[in-house]
Amino acid sequence: MVSILNSIDTGHEDMVHDAEVDYYGLRLATCSSDNSVKVYDIKNGGTALIDDLKGHFGPVWQIAWSHPKFGNLLASCSYDRKVIIWKEQNGKFTKYYEYANHDSSVNSVQFAPPEYGLVLACGSSDGSISILSYISETHNWDAKKIQNAHAIGCNAVSWAPAITPTSGEFRDAAKLVKRLVSGGCDNLVKVWREEEDRWVEENKLEVHSDWVRDVAWAPSVGLHQHTIASCSQDRRVIIWTSDDGNNWNSTVLQTFDDVVWNVSWSLNGNILAVSGGDNKITLWKQNLQGNWQCVSDVVKGQGQINNQ
Amino acid sequence: MAATWNNEYYIALEGRDLQANAMAVDNSGTYVLLAGRRYIAIRNLDEDLEVVQKFPRQSKYDVGAAEWNPTNHNRELCVISSNQRLEVLTWRSQELIQTHSLRAHTRVITDLNWHRSDPSLLASCSVDTFIHIWDLRDARRPSLSLSAIAEASQVRWNKISSHLLATAHDGDIKIWDQRKGTAPVQYVAAHLSKIHGLDWNPNVETQLATSSQDNTVKFFDMNNPRRAEYVLTTNAPVWRARFTPFGNGLVTVVVPQLRRGENSLLLWNTANRSTPMHTFVGHRDVVLEFEWRKQRAGSLDFQLITWSKDQTLLVWKIEPFLQKLCGHEPDETREEIAISNESSEVVKIKKKTSPKIQPLQQEFSLLNVHIPNLEVTAMDPVNRTCTVFANVYNFSVYLQVSFPNAYPHGVPPTFQILHNSSVTEAAGAQLLQTLNHLAQQRVSKNRTCLESCLRQMVTTLEQLSADSENDRIFDNSYTEPNVFGGYNDAYIPFPRTSGAKFCSVGILVCFGRAPHTRRFSGKVEATTPRALSALETVFSKRSSDHVTVSAYYYQKQRLRVKQHSRNASKAIVHVYDVSGLLLTNRQLAEEYILDGDIATICKHNAASAAVVGRWDLVQAWTLAELIACTRNKDEEWYNHPFGNQLSEALISHYAQHSDIQMAAMLSCIFGKNEVNSSHQSKKSLKYTNDTSPYHAIPPMDLPSDEWVFPTLKHMRSTSLDNLRLNEIKNLLPKKNPSSSLHEYFKLSYAETLHRWGFLYNRAEVLKYMCGPPDKHEGVEFFTHCKNCLKPDLYGKHCTCSNCKKFSLNCIICHLSVRGSANCCIVCGHGGHTKHLKQWFEKRDVCPSGCGCRCLTETATIFAT
Repeated sequence: MVSILNSIDTGHEDMVHDAEVDYYGLRLATCSSDNSVKVYDIKNGGTALIDDLKGHFGPVWQIAWSHPKFGNLLASCSYDRKVIIWKEQNGKFTKYYEYANHDSSVNSVQFAPPEYGLVLACGSSDGSISILSYISETHNWDAKKIQNAHAIGCNAVSWAPAITPTSGEFRDAAKLVKRLVSGGCDNLVKVWREEEDRWVEENKLEVHSDWVRDVAWAPSVGLHQHTIASCSQDRRVIIWTSDDGNNWNSTVLQTFDDVVWNVSWSLNGNILAVSGGDNKITLWKQNLQGNWQCVSDVVKGQGQINNQ
Repeated sequence: MAATWNNEYYIALEGRDLQANAMAVDNSGTYVLLAGRRYIAIRNLDEDLEVVQKFPRQSKYDVGAAEWNPTNHNRELCVISSNQRLEVLTWRSQELIQTHSLRAHTRVITDLNWHRSDPSLLASCSVDTFIHIWDLRDARRPSLSLSAIAEASQVRWNKISSHLLATAHDGDIKIWDQRKGTAPVQYVAAHLSKIHGLDWNPNVETQLATSSQDNTVKFFDMNNPRRAEYVLTTNAPVWRARFTPFGNGLVTVVVPQLRRGENSLLLWNTANRSTPMHTFVGHRDVVLEFEWRKQRAGSLDFQLITWSKDQTLLVWKIEPFLQKLCGHEPDETREEIAISNESSEVVKIKKKTSPKIQPLQQEFSLLNVHIPNLEVTAMDPVNRTCTVFANVYNFSVYLQVSFPNAYPHGVPPTFQILHNSSVTEAAGAQLLQTLNHLAQQRVSKNRTCLESCLRQMVTTLEQLSADSENDRIFDNSYTEPNVFGGYNDAYIPFPRTSGAKFCSVGILVCFGRAPHTRRFSGKVEATTPRALSALETVFSKRSSDHVTVSAYYYQKQRLRVKQHSRNASKAIVHVYDVSGLLLTNRQLAEEYILDGDIATICKHNAASAAVVGRWDLVQAWTLAELIACTRNKDEEWYNHPFGNQLSEALISHYAQHSDIQMAAMLSCIFGKNEVNSSHQSKKSLKYTNDTSPYHAIPPMDLPSDEWVFPTLKHMRSTSLDNLRLNEIKNLLPKKNPSSSLHEYFKLSYAETLHRWGFLYNRAEVLKYMCGPPDKHEGVEFFTHCKNCLKPDLYGKHCTCSNCKKFSLNCIICHLSVRGSANCCIVCGHGGHTKHLKQWFEKRDVCPSGCGCRCLTETATIFAT
């Protein structure tokens, strides 16, 4: 059921902190403590290095690909307090925009759904979240900052899908409401909504008992309109669901053996990948009764997905 | 030597720009070679002036190790290692010439060593697990290769026996005999931690000293390697321990740390290992390398040359009394006779009074006053006091330090916070406690403590102030970002070293640590730490040389796993195809059709599902065919309430299973019916309207019942029917809430198809979309009517909206064009796509004869 497509020896001189494949599944970007970002061509099982991006002066924590309609853009964030957006031109990536308005390590970057235009959210250890929007008329980037989004620091950001089954009038960009979820060192998961020119805190979800390490807003297909997964230093993964976007219910997926670092939804939102400090990856799926089941045991035997 | 000696040392060189990390002293003790990435410098120690010859180096690698040939015969040869290469340099008549450049290893070279007596033999060891012995007379390949299985960090020839050499592998030592190259002759499990340095005793053939991360130096007898002969315990990890050329002394230096700490060298007597005999204080940063200089003729002093990270080269004088402390009796030929005649008691007194060498005044003069946030306001060596002022955020502290007479021999100084300080009582008490503790620790080893106490004071104050204002986000100055160590790290999450991300459609990207890595845990901790600052605290306890995330995981590995970890790089990313776990099937996406009548579509799709082996879907498609196809008008299932509910139930069933493919396909199929029925109703409406307004509308065509799917505001159907639907809009029931869900499924499935690159299939699905199409952004083309010469802004048709004539005549067949047309942007000529295609397959000039090279000129317009 699961097969390995590629194994790429990235040649990073230090630990890899993030890896992501682009929209079409053709290119892989990785980032590492050796301050570099590397891009590989993985088409048809290849492992050719396209470019090695050196521009950060500290470990690079996370990367994000943009939707291809904006060109091949790659955003990276680092311990050096910077966010760099790289653009591919003639097979080489060059620095397209650099954002250095954070006072501490930038831990998370994610591009918004393409329906909103070219928009990037960044969460930093200085406690703030920046939302960078590209203004195509002036070819400039506009930065909005949510100050003090999380006391101590913000660890993760994730955008809500632009189109949900209830949003009804889709394709009408003016009516779409931008939402994002963030997690931080104050043990909170917060939902933000853009109102006119400001970002307001819509909801504050409080169950975790330690730093929230990652949040992921699920593409909403299925029973609930909104689903968010969050994971924390408290070794738990929590699934938050809401039918109306105001009242959120929490379900503890599982308490793991070690700190959980990472949650990721599949494109159609039915499988959740969880990984953490114990170096293991598990996949979870919800059955029709609404219970979460680990499906990676199936995977283990065939695909060796557990990084063993 | 006219150099000015500062009590016990003089500064031979201060080379800020050298950035050298390797040093070597030549056989005669005249030249010192300093090698860094950019320069190789040679300093002649016999010259009084600071004369340095610099030779630029063109390499992107740092120099790992350097050594002069110790034999007289080849004394002009010097070897340096640079990544995987060995470079042999010849120093002759003030010129440095590279004579050999050997690609010696496949991985970085960790150490090298000349043979003690054979002038052309050189040993090198590397991470690639091999130890090569090179004969420079034929240096094309190693004269002997020793395969050690584990990576070697040190290699040392025995100083007496010409056949033996020792290598260090993590915590173990292997002893090799040149004559028996296949396997080591001895294997010693020496330490549990990494061995940093090896040195053979110059006087005892079988004795070897190992310095290790575990704070000890162990001495092994090769004839009995089971256990160490004796162990010397220090309070910090030992980087190098080398025997002195006199007596039974040993000099140790601590592991270079990230943080400023102990910069001194310690001199020990191996016969009396409880306390160091002497501390060499002078360097302001860690000592990178030290070497003994050959004893000058006619001098009783030995000289120790040290190179430190502070970029100074110091030459230390080891006077006879120090030699004596190490059990060496200098040749008493001259004035030293007096000393030799003295009884052993006098030697003891001498030992007692030796602190005089380091009076308080000297410590003051050596104090590095450039400590951030700290100012030394007064130093009074007569009254033996010192006053400092520290200003850290909200604390400003005046501290007076008083030194008793016996300091630093077991008696710590006293600390007092002066009354004009602004610090909370609790914080002040904690500060004093910390300082007293540190001072006591250091003076118990007869070492000075002022500088370390002052640094500790600043650090403690920073911590205290951070604690007291935990919530405040500090606007601290920009620290060196390359290194972990900002105190803000306490707020930065501990880096992820494994993870999984779903990308594109069915791709899961995984990365992680190699499976056999173990956490470097100081304590028994159940979980991974949460903040980046954890790295720092772990490493300050362990005092390792590198503070990185990988070091955190890789430090404690045992040898056998290390072997694997090198072969398997630590940075492998796996890309998995997990589409097997998803219900959306790529092959089906390619096979499914949406074009044609419903019966054909359903049959074809059922067959495709059967090929893939999805029998559940075959059933669903058969059912869909039954529901959607109208065989005869009496049993139109779709318009029947039961049929409608069944189709709804089918779609929501697949939606709940997140089978977006099936949900979207069924939405399209049932939507198609809807399209058909609305077409029918439109046509009949038109018909009835046209013929007679009084005619009753046939009930079958009126989609007024609740269970009929809503008709679309605007359709994107293939038909060129441009009827307006406004007339029937009022008759239609309210929009069914589930239809927006259907639209959503179609859109989601279209995105999936887009990611897979099935653009045709995507367009097919999008044709079933009921919402208004995407607003076009970008270049739009308007026809400019050639008859009435007015721009036709509304017309998307083939006739001009103003004069009603056809707006384009084909330049080839001269007929007016309906349907697909192409025009040259430059000359404006064009016509039927088919005709133009045929024309331009053979020619590149415009068929009108205007001379325009349509293809190339159009291309240049778009290029610019």
